Amino acid sequence: MGLDSREYVYQRFSEFYKDPANAVPAPPLPHKREFGYLTFKEKFMVRHRRFEQIANFRTVLADTVPSDVYHSCAYYENPDFDMDKKGWIGSDVVFDIDADHIPTSCNKIHDEFRCVKCGFEGRGLTPEECPCCGGTKFETKIWACDLCIASARDEVAKLLDMLEKDFGFSQDEVRVFFSGHRGYHVHIESEVVRSLDAMARKEIVDYVTGLGVAVLEKEDREQGARRKKKLSKKFNLHNYGWNRRLKVGMQTFLENASPEDLKEVGLRNKALLESKDTIIKRAITEGKWESIQGVSVQTWLKLAEHIREVQAAKIDTVVTTDIHRLIRMNGTLHGKTGLKKVEFKPKELQTFDPFTGAVAFKKGKVKVLVSDAPEFRMSGETLGPYKNQTLELPVAAAVLLICKRRAEVVP
Amino acid sequence: MELAVISIEDYAKYPFLKGASTQIKELDLTIQNLVEDRFVLERAQKRVECAILDLTIGQMDVDRRKEISSFAASLILVIGTKKPWIKKRYALAVAKTAYSHLLSPQTTKAKIQSIAKDFDWDISEGKEAYKDFKIGFSFYLKNAAHMHGNEWKLVNQIIDKGLVYLNKDKVARLLQEEIKNRVEKRLDVPELKNLPEDINIIAFKLNALAQDIMGQETEEMPKTVVQAAFPPCINALYAEAAAAHHLSHIGRFTLTSFLLNIGMSPEAVNEMYKTFSDYNERLTRYQIEHIAGERGSATQYKPPQCSVLQTHGVCKNRDELCRRIYHPLGYYLRKQRMQNSG
Repeated sequence: MGLDSREYVYQRFSEFYKDPANAVPAPPLPHKREFGYLTFKEKFMVRHRRFEQIANFRTVLADTVPSDVYHSCAYYENPDFDMDKKGWIGSDVVFDIDADHIPTSCNKIHDEFRCVKCGFEGRGLTPEECPCCGGTKFETKIWACDLCIASARDEVAKLLDMLEKDFGFSQDEVRVFFSGHRGYHVHIESEVVRSLDAMARKEIVDYVTGLGVAVLEKEDREQGARRKKKLSKKFNLHNYGWNRRLKVGMQTFLENASPEDLKEVGLRNKALLESKDTIIKRAITEGKWESIQGVSVQTWLKLAEHIREVQAAKIDTVVTTDIHRLIRMNGTLHGKTGLKKVEFKPKELQTFDPFTGAVAFKKGKVKVLVSDAPEFRMSGETLGPYKNQTLELPVAAAVLLICKRRAEVVP
Repeated sequence: MELAVISIEDYAKYPFLKGASTQIKELDLTIQNLVEDRFVLERAQKRVECAILDLTIGQMDVDRRKEISSFAASLILVIGTKKPWIKKRYALAVAKTAYSHLLSPQTTKAKIQSIAKDFDWDISEGKEAYKDFKIGFSFYLKNAAHMHGNEWKLVNQIIDKGLVYLNKDKVARLLQEEIKNRVEKRLDVPELKNLPEDINIIAFKLNALAQDIMGQETEEMPKTVVQAAFPPCINALYAEAAAAHHLSHIGRFTLTSFLLNIGMSPEAVNEMYKTFSDYNERLTRYQIEHIAGERGSATQYKPPQCSVLQTHGVCKNRDELCRRIYHPLGYYLRKQRMQNSG
């Protein structure tokens, strides 16, 4: 980012934080939380700040104009003390779903990487090793397309379903946010979860990702080879929790599966397709798993494992288990996009459009030189693709491209 | 379901319940009084001795009030020993004893519910899923998350609308955990000053007894680093780092803390990281010293246990031995012992 461009973005961020209309909403119990922010110019992380009143923090934001703003998910006796002296009281349960962690149908073709060592460049997922020199450090330019966002959204939908049906949270207790980049955050601030320790949170993570569902255990599988009967008995899914999810998933899968689908899952079993209806009726509905001729316990296990993968919500496991985590603050700008982290109602998940709802800069245009940008949307307008061209863009679009190092302002 | 009334008989069985102290108030239980009541003190001593020897608390006194008082006295004795090992051991013995009472066919569901309510549990009778009880998932997790085995994982529970459906035996086991924590908390107090000499004498004896048992139980780390005994996850991390791949934060933490815990020096760990391509001297040194407890909170960090490594995808190439251990350090000790015994 050139100096002029940086100054330009800084000015927009500054105007944003000085405008009372953009006053950041306070999280619950702000005086018990640690606040932190990344300074815009020096890229220095300021941490361990405490504010009795959220208004004071708003003043700091307007005065310092940070590029990114965070607060702790945790509640502390002394949020401004050193980590080991803060006095942990509790923490919200937070889920982070980011397109970075999910295989997406766009294959991240819009992302670019460049090997720091030899300068080799490419598009798509950044490799672990440079194919040219074997180096492992890359400069990346990542992008968020509609497909990335849609993939993340599908994972959020699965998560919300579990939080509501299995964990019993009401729509009011679950807060959903667009993260400001290419993913979503889900916060649970209910007192019920506040005091859970890291191990208990790990169990929640394992639940959400379906890790360790007993029917899939390797030990069982090996035992099954020797004592088939005992295992087939065990393969009796009930109607609650993950068992229900596996059942429903198996039924949907079988109803729609083609021979190719089965093959992809590693199932070459003809019986599964030929007697589809019988299987769904006898096994899944009536629970007579062992009564289907030609469908072995191993086949059931393979199918269940595939369904587990499909039904699991792909969250960032580290974020949820970390009881001291800092999370981006609602209503603040993301330094890599200029978009806001914004909240919307869980039931609006499918309709909420981040490229409209999270737009922070709604007025004005600016002249920029765009080096390279794929087609994208902003505030309902479809823009690009651009390649080495100078043009006037709406401010939000220009800020996005500048933050993504794909454009510079033309003075 | 109506909650059951807790009788004095119950308080003798479960003397850690909040109401137990009201039963013995009239006895005016000062530390001085405890020493003077020989019977109470003897029973208290017996409790702790049994806990140290075989994780029980010995025969209950027929005088239920004395029995309850002896629990209070035993806590003072255990605190007097100043030994974390005895504190843990005693809490476990008390919890295990309560567990066996809870499991008894004579213990009604209503009674179990009353005891669970003493720990503020969200619990009620669980008719819907043909189980004895249903409890709020957070109360379930608080205790079950620390238990090993697939049958305790939340994914394998009957869970619906925030409630976990459980039978009596499982609820009793969870309560054992809860009881252990409560007793441990009551024992976790700063040193008691000016204890009567009699108590100090008993505490001294208890410490001597504990020394014998503890000696049999502790496992020593081998003096030298035995690479052939590394668990597969650590080998995988090492290989990944050596092949100049980037390690995740948790992967790096696991590898570093493992090596430090098996006795490698911070300098040696640092030397090892130097051979890796993304080495950053200042950062690496800082991280190693932090994990070794030479910086910050001064706690020496242990690597995460196996189940945590599974959650974050660090657990790799599980082998036969992995199924019998819960911790990478446990694997190392066991493997190394197996190799030594040929």
